[in-house]
Amino acid sequence: MMSRIWPIALAVVTDSLRRKVVYVVLVFAAVLAMAIPSLPSYGLGIEDAVYREVALALSFVAALVLTLSLSANRVPSEVERRTVYNVLAKGVSRAEYLVGSWLGILIVTGGAIAAFTGVQQLIALARYGDPMWQLWQGALAVWLEMGVLSAFAVAVSSVAGPVVVVTAALAVLFVGHSRSTLLGGEGALALKPFYPSLDAFNIVNPVAHGTGVPPLYLLSMLVVFVGFVAIALAVAVWLFGRRDL
Amino acid sequence: MSESNGPAILIRGAHKRYKPIVGAPQRDAVRGVDISVAPGTIHGLLGPNGAGKTTTIKMLLGLVRPTAGEFRILGEDSTRPEGRRRVGFMPEQPYFPQHLRAAQALRLYAQLAGVPRDEIGPRTTALMERVGLQGREKTTLDAFSRGMLQRLGIAQALINQPEVVVLDEPASGLDPVGQRDVRNLMLELRESGVTVLLSSHQLSEVEAVCDDVTIMNAGLVAAEGDLDALLNVEGRTSIRVRGLEGGLPARVAELASEVAVTGGVSVFSVADETVRAVIDAVDDAGGRVVSVTPVRDSLEDYFARLLATTAEGGEDR
Repeated sequence: MMSRIWPIALAVVTDSLRRKVVYVVLVFAAVLAMAIPSLPSYGLGIEDAVYREVALALSFVAALVLTLSLSANRVPSEVERRTVYNVLAKGVSRAEYLVGSWLGILIVTGGAIAAFTGVQQLIALARYGDPMWQLWQGALAVWLEMGVLSAFAVAVSSVAGPVVVVTAALAVLFVGHSRSTLLGGEGALALKPFYPSLDAFNIVNPVAHGTGVPPLYLLSMLVVFVGFVAIALAVAVWLFGRRDL
Repeated sequence: MSESNGPAILIRGAHKRYKPIVGAPQRDAVRGVDISVAPGTIHGLLGPNGAGKTTTIKMLLGLVRPTAGEFRILGEDSTRPEGRRRVGFMPEQPYFPQHLRAAQALRLYAQLAGVPRDEIGPRTTALMERVGLQGREKTTLDAFSRGMLQRLGIAQALINQPEVVVLDEPASGLDPVGQRDVRNLMLELRESGVTVLLSSHQLSEVEAVCDDVTIMNAGLVAAEGDLDALLNVEGRTSIRVRGLEGGLPARVAELASEVAVTGGVSVFSVADETVRAVIDAVDDAGGRVVSVTPVRDSLEDYFARLLATTAEGGEDR
């Protein structure tokens, strides 16, 4: 199975690396990271915390732009241009095709987030003399959340066009981080266990304040990631499997 | 090369009904189509636009979900991925990831088809040469012309050394030399025992290479069988003779029809069962038989006449 998934993922990576959006986002994020120390709140004596918080937010936004741009049109364009015919006719299952596409997007996003974080570390080292290793925990959380989001985007894109995919993905992001707002009332408490919350990936505060999160938490975050991705890709396979190409 | 003794490709009761979500009525693109392709033959699939050829091929290859029917290639259910591992497919107007180089594209499809790593390079080189793209291995595909993409499409279909090849309009977009190359390639494949299912609008191409054909119209099979048998519809034979300056002998004249005489050559047709007697009569009269050939419709004429009799509409997908 992996012998077919892996070439598809690598083809997605190669294709993505030729897209200008990857480099534009990378450069833009790097420039903004360099500008963080000039923020006005820097006179308050909490420079390190502010830097980490803004750096994480920057990584999140850049990764979000990248994830949506890579995943929204991946499957629709392959179906429209019929490049998917050559792939499926080789005995590749639709599930392998979708998982390979998602894996490729995950790899590119991971590489980009790693690059952002590397640049942010260099700036932190130059500005504060501290490499701020906690940023990598935040980067991992962002990456995993983007992995969930791209799996959801791939699921929607297997039956819908890019505009619908982006709208749906942003809606999921909003809903995923609004559990306390949407289910804040006492009457809705019982629903909380079923709420598709992405808050598990929100570790901005511990990272910003320098404490980080324990390894067990990182592990549980990984479990949440696997669970959500499995559900999203299962839905994707079900939807795509029913589609006439 | 086929392991099974049955047909290399078997389509039985293929049916595809498109159900719109709201509004428009249901539409049957393919209705109860049966196709059987013998191993090691070239089978043509003909029909006008909307006949259901492409939908039938897509159902065979698992690209479209059949409403009903059985689809087997080399005895295996071809709607399942594992049933397509020994198949090569070239879609009509093949497209490829534009950023790849030609050799990279072939490598990708070879990997997907499970070609052993050490065989990918040699096979790529050989196939690039076979389809006339030698020296273009490092060219990115966005610089390829349509004809070159077509050739690469054929190469990717053959990268896994398939036992069955499905070609959808393989000569489309090719110049006359390219079309001849494709024709020769199909004949070579047949020579090596590969079964070819060829969907084409180019009747001359079909007539030149196909052993059998299935003609579809409006989602149904309108005719099928051996090409010679289909086109020899009248059971008559055409005879050309020289040296009958005095006209046709009386015995011949009473059996012959459609007589034409030009430059000392008489051409006429007779019923198949009278050919022996007519040749003897020509010999006795001192004439020389130049050729004896079955009267064949042209495929174009046959095709047009057949379609005129099945006038229901449909739309190809």
